[in-house]
Order: sequence, then C-alpha cells, then structure tokens
Amino acid sequence: MTTQRISIDPITRLEGHGKIDIFLDPAGNVAETFLQIPELRGFERFCVGRPAEDMPNLTNRICGVCPEAHHMASTKALDALFHVDPPPTAKKLRELFYCIFYATDHTTHFYALGGPDFVMGPDAPKEQRNILGVIQKVGMEIAGKVLKMRRDGHHLIEMIGGRKVHPNWGLPGGVSRGINEEQRCEIEARGREAIEFARFSLQLFNDIVLGNPAYVELVTSDAYTHRTYNMGTVDAQNRVNFYDGLIRVVGPNGREHAKYPARDYREYIAEHVEPWSYLKFPFLKKIGWKGFVDGEDSGLYKATPLSRLNAADGMATPLAQQEYERMYDTLGGKPVHHTLATHWARLVELLHATERWVELAVDPEITGKEYRALPTHRPDEGVGSVEAPRGTLTHHYWTDERGILTRVNLIVGTTNNYAPIQLSIKKAAQGLIREGVVVTEGLLNKVEMAFRAYDPCFGCATHYLPGQMPLTIRIRAADGQVLREISRAAP
Amino acid sequence: MATQPASLVTEGTQHPVRTLVLGLGNPLVSDDSVGLRVVQELRAELAAYSDVEVDEEYCGGLRLMERLVGYDRAILIDAICAGHAPGTVRVFSPETATTRHSASAHDVSLVVALALGCQAGAALPRREAIRLVTIEAADVETFGEECTPAVADSVGRAADIVRELLATWRSGP
Repeated sequence: MTTQRISIDPITRLEGHGKIDIFLDPAGNVAETFLQIPELRGFERFCVGRPAEDMPNLTNRICGVCPEAHHMASTKALDALFHVDPPPTAKKLRELFYCIFYATDHTTHFYALGGPDFVMGPDAPKEQRNILGVIQKVGMEIAGKVLKMRRDGHHLIEMIGGRKVHPNWGLPGGVSRGINEEQRCEIEARGREAIEFARFSLQLFNDIVLGNPAYVELVTSDAYTHRTYNMGTVDAQNRVNFYDGLIRVVGPNGREHAKYPARDYREYIAEHVEPWSYLKFPFLKKIGWKGFVDGEDSGLYKATPLSRLNAADGMATPLAQQEYERMYDTLGGKPVHHTLATHWARLVELLHATERWVELAVDPEITGKEYRALPTHRPDEGVGSVEAPRGTLTHHYWTDERGILTRVNLIVGTTNNYAPIQLSIKKAAQGLIREGVVVTEGLLNKVEMAFRAYDPCFGCATHYLPGQMPLTIRIRAADGQVLREISRAAP
Repeated sequence: MATQPASLVTEGTQHPVRTLVLGLGNPLVSDDSVGLRVVQELRAELAAYSDVEVDEEYCGGLRLMERLVGYDRAILIDAICAGHAPGTVRVFSPETATTRHSASAHDVSLVVALALGCQAGAALPRREAIRLVTIEAADVETFGEECTPAVADSVGRAADIVRELLATWRSGP
C-alpha cells in the first residue's frame, strides 16, 4: 500500500522542535500518525560519579522551560536520599516558591502558547496566531499585565531562590536561607495582585471562549476527546497540591485506581518502547499496555492540569474551588476528557497557585528561622516528586555511602503524556483530515492544537535513563507486522 | 585618582550607549554551550568598558527579550543548526536567522517577543542594533561539558567578530 505523507515541521511554539508525521492511505484518510522527538543523550553518564548534592543545580539546567520544577523535585529526592525531614518553615518556603513559579509559567503558556488558538481562532493566519494577535484583539493593556506578572514572578523567584533563572537554594533537609518580614510583605502584595490577574484571565477565557458556541463545540468535539486515566498529586483531603502529597490515579469513569507515595512509582508505572521513537511511553502497570487506545482497559494516563483536577476531589483554595465547580458544571461533570479543556484547567490552577501563594505569604511560620534540618543518616536511595506544570515529575537517585551518584532515573512531566499525545494527534488528524478535504493551515493547526494543550516540553523529556523499568520492544515490518517481540522484566 | 574606564559613548549623545554582549546556551549540552564560551573569552577585556555588559543566558523568547530591556545595542552569541560546516561563524539580524535560543519555541520567537516588548513600552534596542553571531554546531544532543573540536576552534573567530562589531559601532554614527 502506498501512502502519502504530510509533515508538520517544526511544530510552532514548541520547545525541542518535535515532528509529526501523518500517513494517509490511498483514499486520503489518516492511516497512522507519529510524533518523533529528537533525543538528548548521556544524562545518566553525565551525572554518575558526581555528589548527589549537585543534582538540584545540575538538573535545573536540563531544561530552559521549567528549571524550578527540576530544582524542587531534585531537592525532595535529596531529602529522601539523606533520610531527613525538612522543618515546617522550609516546606512552606519551598511551596511558596513553587506556587510563584507555577503562576508565572501558566501565565506564559496561556497567553503565548495555548491562548492564541482560541483568542484568534484556529483558522486565523499563522502570523496572527501569537501573543501579538491576542493583544491586537483584546487590547494593549494585556501586554503590560502579562509582562508585569512575569516580571514579578521572576523577581520573587530570584529573591527567594537566590538566582533569577537557576535557583541554587534547595538543600537536603531544607533551604539555604529564609525570608525576612520586608520580603514577606512584598511577596504578599505581589501575590494579591497576581490573584486579580488570574481572575482577569479566567474572565477573558469565559468571554472569548465560552462565549463563542463554535469554540465550545470544538473543545467538546470527539476529535479532542480521549477517555484515559488521569494522574495528579493530592493532599490529605484529596485536593490538588503542586508541591507535595500522594500520587492519585483515577480511571476514565472517575473512580480511584491508585494512590501511592512517589517512592513506589515503579510498582504502578512501566514503560513501553516503540522502534520508531527514542522516547519511551509510560503506562499504568496494573492495567497494561494495549497500544495507542483509550478506555478502561488501556493503561494510558495523562498528567496535565486537567488530569490533576480530574484526579482530585477539589481545589485547596476558595476561589479556585468555585472555578473548579463552574468548569465541571459547564462541561457535564467529572471527569472531563476533552483535551482542549486543559487550557481552562490551567487557568483554574493559575488561580489556585496565586491564592496559595498569598496563603503561604501570610502564614506566621513563613519567616521562621528554622529552615534546615541537617542530615545525619547515610545516603542510599531517594525519590522526589512534584507536579511540574507539564505533569508529575519524578527524580530517583542511587548513591554509594559517600553520597556519590551511582544511578539516576527521571520521569519528566511531558513523558507521562507521550502516549496520550500520540493518541490526540491521531484522533485529531482522523477527525479533521478526510477524503478529498484540502489540508489548509487552519486544519493542520487544529492537529497541533491537540498537541499544544499538553504544554509539552520535550527539551528534557528524553533525558531519562533507559533500562530502569520493564520494557516490551516490538520490531515491526513496514506493513506493521510484528517481526519480533523482546520483553524485559522489572529490575 | 583612579583612571576612568574607557567608554563606547558615541560622541554627541546625551547619555552612554549601553551595549549588552550576551552568550546564549546550555553549559551542559556539548556545542549548545559555545555562545557561553565566546563571552567567557571576551569577559575580561570587555570589563574595561563601562558601557558594555557581558553576560550569559540560557533562555529564548519572552525571557530573552526581557533580558534586553534597558540596552541600546545587543550582540547575542548562540549555536545554530543550519546545515553548514561545524564551526562556521556568521552574523545575522534577528529577523533573518533563528538560532538555538532565539527560536526557543516554548513561548514566542525573539522577533515576536521584541514586538511585544515594544508595544508594552519596554526600553529595548532597535532591531538594527541587535546582532546575532551564530556558530554552526555539530552536536546539540549529547550531555557534556566540552564542545566538539571544530566548534571549540571557532570560539576565537566568533570573539573576533564580536570585537569587530563593537569597533564598528564605536566608530559609527
């Protein structure tokens, strides 16, 4: 069978320059789609032999997009590695820092990356589907608001984390310095403004997207809907938490599938390998790999803002809880499986991050002087996990008794979503490219939209260590026939 | 009395013309670090100029634009993957080339980011006062703290080009 190939390259507005191939059959229908990612090699070799304490400052340079998330997951892995529990002030400072980062990152994604598709419309010319188009349509003041939000966020991240881009602040057992009352006041003031910005952003989404029936139809259309499992970190009341808690996975029907501490991740997550991709595909081990399909019997899961909301019973802050309820009421109850609703969920999380930012800024313990517990135990192995904006981020380190790294494994946020992204691309392509339909820019952009909702960042997604999890490798002929299957059990 | 540092002040202007020489790259990813190495070579000699700042950044897009606020001129040094021989050094305006970091596609391109900044009233260098010095990379996919040989050999040439650009600006209108 001959096929015709359509390539979208590079995927605009995406870190790492991935590539989507859509294979059409002779009738002009979508036969198969592939997202391929350039590989970054040698991260484990780079790390092994170094002191584990270097990792928060090394891993935050893996990726230019979310260094703060790597810094925090790495710091938490060091807590576990050295068997030390940080004092309350340290935990609160870390969460405060992390909420400020979250608010800044989600702002950038919505206005620069995801928002233009909605504000300008998916059929708008490529040159207009960017933040400049948004400004032209919504008004000049939005540019100032977005840039102020980013400026405040970066300023406070530097104030707390020690450096403006790559924080050097996290230590096993705590942080290297606390904040004083003057700094606390500034953090609180900026946080209150940030809450207003988040509310403004939700109002904008409400007016422009929800006020347009065509967009609502697009968001809820079958082409952008997948019934997969959802993963997110929750607190003791099963509410969303970005910094700490248990990993909770709910099924396509919303029922809890698993809830576990991050250190047990290998009991729940396995990885599948395809011959055409360097990046592996994590899936739920107890459900199993059934291919790029959704449903109860397929181990595919998503770890996105929408997944976090689906995996939780609610938000931990009052205004975000109201928006959470409004979103589910509007979209027909929990869980929501519409990929494009991820943009809405991201704004609910933005509001949550800003509210939590202020809650922590007014916490009496936040200016405490006990912000580090000194490690006294011999290091061996440790897992640290946070919710990166792009999904659950896990760092796992092994060391000798001197704390020198012997093994490293990372599951980065985007990696969790690699299989669902493939599914989204294929389904969007199937729904949008049919016999005889001319492929227009708007059409191809709608395929990309399926992808962008995940806020994928493959800059770091290929850095994790091969060979730490059970694998199944299938070698296929060109016609798809499986020639050989190689399986390896968990170590 | 201490000697006043030399200056790149253009005669006749009311205020010093502030120039940023910015190396872009990831220090941990082989040839992606080359822009950083070029500014490391230049840092000591350019410290003699009070109106030239030398710095290193990893970022692109909005963050890169935000880093340029407050300067009249900027030279950005970065790795590029354009299909030329590794180590090839060239000079572009931001509109005519996208380097490893000026094209950071997570948010927007540098060109769009500059337009956004200007619309928001940020004090940014004019487009014609921004130069991209690019070094063709051989390997931007392997973790490592060394560049490949041809790229490592190009550091001096790229530094010379930065010196020439600064000298041209110094003597020009």
